[in-house]
Amino acid sequence: MVFVSVILSAFAAVTLWWTMHAWRTPETLAATRFAPPDGEQHLTFSLLVPARHEQAVLEHTVQRLLRSTHEAFEIIIIVGHDDPATAEVADRVAATAPGRILVVTDHNLVKNKPRALNTALPYARGDVVGVFDAEDQVHPELLEHVDHAFRATGADVVQGGVQLINFHSSWYSLHNCLEYFFWFRSRLHLHAKKGFIPLGGNTVFVRTDVLRRANGWDGTCLAEDCDLGVRLSSRGSKVVVAYDSTIVTREETPHSLHGLLKQRTRWHQGFLQVLRKGEWRRLPTLRQRLLARYTLAGPFLQAFSGVVIPVGVAIALWANLPVLVALFTFLPVLPMAATLLFQVIGLRDFGKEYDLRIRWHHYARLVLGAFPYALVLATAALRAVWREYTGRRNWELTSHVGAHLNEAVPA
Amino acid sequence: MTAIELARPISVVPAAAHDVRARRDLFLALGLTAVIVTLLAWNITGFPSASDDEGTYLAQAWAVQHGRGLAHYTYWYDHPPLAWIQLAGLSWIPAALAPGLTAVAAGRIAMLPVQAVGLLLVYLVSRRVGMPRWAASLALITYGLSPLYLTMGRQIYLDSFAVVWMLGALALALSPRKHLWHFAAAGGAAAVAVLSKETIAVVLPAVLLALWQNAARSSTRPWAFGAFVSGLVLVGCFYPLYAVLRGELFPGAGHVSLIGAWQFQLGSRSGSGSVFASGSGASSLLHSWLYYDAVILIAGAVASFAGLVLRQVRPVALAGAILVLVALRPGGYLPAMYVVQVLPFFAIAIAGVIAAVVAALPPVHVRWRWAVLAPAVLLTVAVIAPRWYVGDRRALGTNDNAPYAQAAAYLNEQLPGSRGGTVVVDDVLWLDCVDAGYPPDKVLWFYKVDLDSAVAGRLPGGWRDVDYIVSTPAMRQDPNSLPTVRTLLTNSTVIASFGPQDGRIEIRRVDKGATA
Repeated sequence: MVFVSVILSAFAAVTLWWTMHAWRTPETLAATRFAPPDGEQHLTFSLLVPARHEQAVLEHTVQRLLRSTHEAFEIIIIVGHDDPATAEVADRVAATAPGRILVVTDHNLVKNKPRALNTALPYARGDVVGVFDAEDQVHPELLEHVDHAFRATGADVVQGGVQLINFHSSWYSLHNCLEYFFWFRSRLHLHAKKGFIPLGGNTVFVRTDVLRRANGWDGTCLAEDCDLGVRLSSRGSKVVVAYDSTIVTREETPHSLHGLLKQRTRWHQGFLQVLRKGEWRRLPTLRQRLLARYTLAGPFLQAFSGVVIPVGVAIALWANLPVLVALFTFLPVLPMAATLLFQVIGLRDFGKEYDLRIRWHHYARLVLGAFPYALVLATAALRAVWREYTGRRNWELTSHVGAHLNEAVPA
Repeated sequence: MTAIELARPISVVPAAAHDVRARRDLFLALGLTAVIVTLLAWNITGFPSASDDEGTYLAQAWAVQHGRGLAHYTYWYDHPPLAWIQLAGLSWIPAALAPGLTAVAAGRIAMLPVQAVGLLLVYLVSRRVGMPRWAASLALITYGLSPLYLTMGRQIYLDSFAVVWMLGALALALSPRKHLWHFAAAGGAAAVAVLSKETIAVVLPAVLLALWQNAARSSTRPWAFGAFVSGLVLVGCFYPLYAVLRGELFPGAGHVSLIGAWQFQLGSRSGSGSVFASGSGASSLLHSWLYYDAVILIAGAVASFAGLVLRQVRPVALAGAILVLVALRPGGYLPAMYVVQVLPFFAIAIAGVIAAVVAALPPVHVRWRWAVLAPAVLLTVAVIAPRWYVGDRRALGTNDNAPYAQAAAYLNEQLPGSRGGTVVVDDVLWLDCVDAGYPPDKVLWFYKVDLDSAVAGRLPGGWRDVDYIVSTPAMRQDPNSLPTVRTLLTNSTVIASFGPQDGRIEIRRVDKGATA
């Protein structure tokens, strides 16, 4: 029991340490922002938007992309051959901007996001391929910033920020939003710095030649974004993360708990697949390999500790343990409680950065929902392990209703 | 791979020069600390005379070390236990350096590293609030040469641990890198300070102010406070947690409790009166402090309030000012070692105010500046030096503890027949008896005989179960409140005695045949 407690608290402490990376000193915080663009435009972009059963949100997303202030970009919408409703929307939007928008039909029998992206890759004419999801709200100035970031740093990959906004929709969406906030605001920068980075699923930009050399995305992987990041990291590509709340890509949380569970199961299973593929073994240094192993296995450790720690504390309180042993079981609660406290501060920061009104009941919901949310994550992790073990590797799609579009967001 | 770095901090000082300066600071602070620690160590066994409290804390450290819980009698949450747990951790030092000493004398040697850290932290905090090198040195010297410090800094007090941790918290809160984990560590250090001696908690606002100032105009201020609070609360909560796990949080029949102890400390403990009322306990205590060193107390109190207007010195001055106000509150309880917590803040405030005055003198007229400074310095030295010389010489030369050492030696060598018998002693000699081989449960603290029902239960035949009693000034102080002890003193004969009339230590054999 003492041993488990020490391991758990070490794990929780390391995770907390990394999660708080961006706020360590004022200098690190300043370093996580996008450099302001210099007004020049040198690169050309191919923006890939895979859309499957997204007829409700696709048009809005593409219209916003078209408003981009950058001059040189094309949009490639990928629709399935069995999805006429989305294809109809795509064709209609394409007609409004001929030459800018290309609609590609994916004829793969098994449909998933990486296959759709691979279908579109041969059509991409830009220097840089960018990926967006059909429900993304992209800021018009994003491309200019990314253009500058590529040129200023000589990067092969630029990962921009993604943020879930509809924190008020449900109890779990609050936690989900904060997860994104901490991940993109802070943790991802640490990964970029250490040279091992699981990329995000969208607002990710890769030099087209680098992407083609890497043979695009892995069509069998459930976390193609993470896999691409690991493969590019292992090949020594330079990855840059830049975050700015004003130009972050806005998304919505899954609209049901079941949807969240499915999405999370897919990610966790994807992480497991990436771990098993072993591309990360090609990372040059031992530290990077350890970080990779730790990060890819992280969701499972996290899910495990989120459930075990409260159970351990309950045992310590109600069972008659020796006092010293009981005190030890409280050790992992320290980083856990500190994490919760930082989440409260993070929620305040989140509200300030995105100009959202955070009320007292949101804070209360945050604290009260912490354990149930940990349970959801743990369930997803167990489900992922079970599905991977039984060989069920199909793609469970998350559907979108456009809850984040109702937010009044100045363009 | 890297994140875009926009604001790469441009160092004004080249790295090499910065290293040289940091090293100069280090050598200066280490050198001065070495001198002061030598002065502390000189005659540490002889002066001041061993106090009951020192014996108490040492015995509790002994209990921790030997796995007997947090105290060798029932731990009743009188003080949080961290200080004597640390003391237990340091006990290997005297055991290795000077195995032959009496328990209290040896225990004092374990305080030397604690005091060394405290002295270094006084320098570090001074530097971190922005004082020049000479002023930081002045703070360290003022602190270290004060006869009050040379006296009380040698003694085994929980307050010494607490104040060192609080200085550490202050130094971390003033971290020049404004690192999040330094702030968390500051919270943790503050919690350890409070769990070493709970009264230091009144200084917490000073640490918060330091943190507030240090994080001013910084993008990470809310996170800094979050880190501090989590460090403070999460480390601090282990103490109430301990009580909860033992089922001793709330008062109840048949057991001690944390809240019950707090109620006693805050409510029932009789106050020591106002420091302004002559003849009150607080007043005579203040006079005893002033007797040792009026300079640092008066100058420090003035500097603490004056320093409140100076932004840089304000956190430290606030600590000093709070401690003054708490001491002056009417009717509260003022413990004898309270001043231990006060001294470092006073010393830094004095140096800080002096540094501010010197900096405010117009530097253009160099000659005029020295014309003001030189007489002021000479006058100050002329006033202070003789007083401190007398006080410090007393600390370095007087041997007040010879009777205790002789009594301990007698108990160890001349009274072997008594082993197995029951001995009643004061707190100072308790550990000496245990070290000499007396069974720990047959050596009794004199006031526990009357006040602890569990101890009284070990004497079914009442006072006649006691074989020897070692009478010391502490025991004779207040005989009427302890009837059994009084009976023992009247019904016993002196078999050995040590020391002068007023501080005599007597080994007495109990006359069991006497009729009480």
